[in-house]
Amino acid sequence: MVEEARVGGNDFEWQYRLLMPNHSIKYMHALAQSTRDQNGQLEYIAAVQDVTARRLAEEARDKARSELTHVARVTSLGTLTASIAHELNQPLSGIVTNASTCMRMLAADPPNVEGARETARRTIRDGNRASEVITRLRTLFGKREATNEPVDLNDATRDVLALSLSELQKNRAILRRELADDLPLVTGDRVQLQQVILNLLRNASDAMSTIHDRPRDLLIRTEPDDNDRVRLSVSDVGIGFEPQAADRLFEAFYTTKNEGMGIGLSVSRSIIEHHHGRLWATPNNGPGVTFSFSIPCRREGSTSDSTRDRRIPSVSDGA
Amino acid sequence: MDALPREAHSYAMELRQEKRAMERPLVSVVDDDESVRESLPDLLGEFGFAARAFSSAEQFLASDCVGQTRCLILDVAMPGMSGPELQRELKLRRREIPIVFITGQREETVRLQVLEQGAIECLFKPFSDTALLEAVNSALHPK
Repeated sequence: MVEEARVGGNDFEWQYRLLMPNHSIKYMHALAQSTRDQNGQLEYIAAVQDVTARRLAEEARDKARSELTHVARVTSLGTLTASIAHELNQPLSGIVTNASTCMRMLAADPPNVEGARETARRTIRDGNRASEVITRLRTLFGKREATNEPVDLNDATRDVLALSLSELQKNRAILRRELADDLPLVTGDRVQLQQVILNLLRNASDAMSTIHDRPRDLLIRTEPDDNDRVRLSVSDVGIGFEPQAADRLFEAFYTTKNEGMGIGLSVSRSIIEHHHGRLWATPNNGPGVTFSFSIPCRREGSTSDSTRDRRIPSVSDGA
Repeated sequence: MDALPREAHSYAMELRQEKRAMERPLVSVVDDDESVRESLPDLLGEFGFAARAFSSAEQFLASDCVGQTRCLILDVAMPGMSGPELQRELKLRRREIPIVFITGQREETVRLQVLEQGAIECLFKPFSDTALLEAVNSALHPK
């Protein structure tokens, strides 16, 4: 750091860790402004701050958020079990049926080898289908640390839809998707964003579960938004909410459902805010509600907060 | 054939179709899952049945197979008209086609409901070929 300062002559900012003699770790934040004295000599005016407490608190908060999201995921896993089983039973059923047919075709006189070959081909394809379902599920429900990377929201949405399609169909929701072409990338945690999308889809579907007099239209849409942002919205034609409940919707544990757990929207809003975005609900002109979130696009040339990137290995003797 | 009056001609056609149907009974499959629509007809063919597959209840109702179908293999959950709804609709139209339900959702309540409404059987996916054969035979040869 000193070498760079001597050579560079620019203002700089560093975050680094110190390994103390007692083996504890301190987090330091150094800010320096370069200046020339009256002889033209390079001088630095700097401040070094011990930000250990703040950094530890941030790490604890991130960990708690990961935990809560994991809990929300796992408890929602309970209610998703039926549709997971359904998702897997389809290809498994294809496998059993095709293999049974294969046996019979080979036992025929003369054996129907061409037909048997076709059933074997379908069996392999269905086996791969089942494998894909499991991979998607593990991605969505495994416990993990939050990551920060470029995310294609359309892609992320398609994955969520593939997983939840059968559940939506079971609830007779008619899905329409309007995913904008050339949607800019955003930066963030793909799986957490997918969790939010899943939450909004299921809320929309549940909101329509008592609707019988009109088609249960569910629209999911992505589009670029003002101020270099990307917006995703989910619209239903369900029972909507009372104007006075509008604020409470995002409260932790608030729910209007009998078997609801009320974790969804509160965690979802927290995730979106962590992505420097906004999550809100608007009643439609007709029946139902539109939930939307809007998050910033990825900045070119960076994948995350630029100050966080600057880390050097710990200096071991407490400089 | 042209010499025969119209009614006799179509009556002869019907008889011929029925004879064909009796030789290889028509089993219709209604399921929105493509792999089911692909695989079941082949298996049914190995059992000696004629088979047709439809991707929705609506498609089946709009087809010309409703009258000839001797047994209906029907998925429970489908977008649009569901399996139980088709069961109800066929009853209303006085088309008492024996139904074997198939479903990927192991819900006892659904099974009981459709059996109460007169279904021959309700099989959970994945089901064995022998279970299917037994169910279809029960449908075709009620005791």
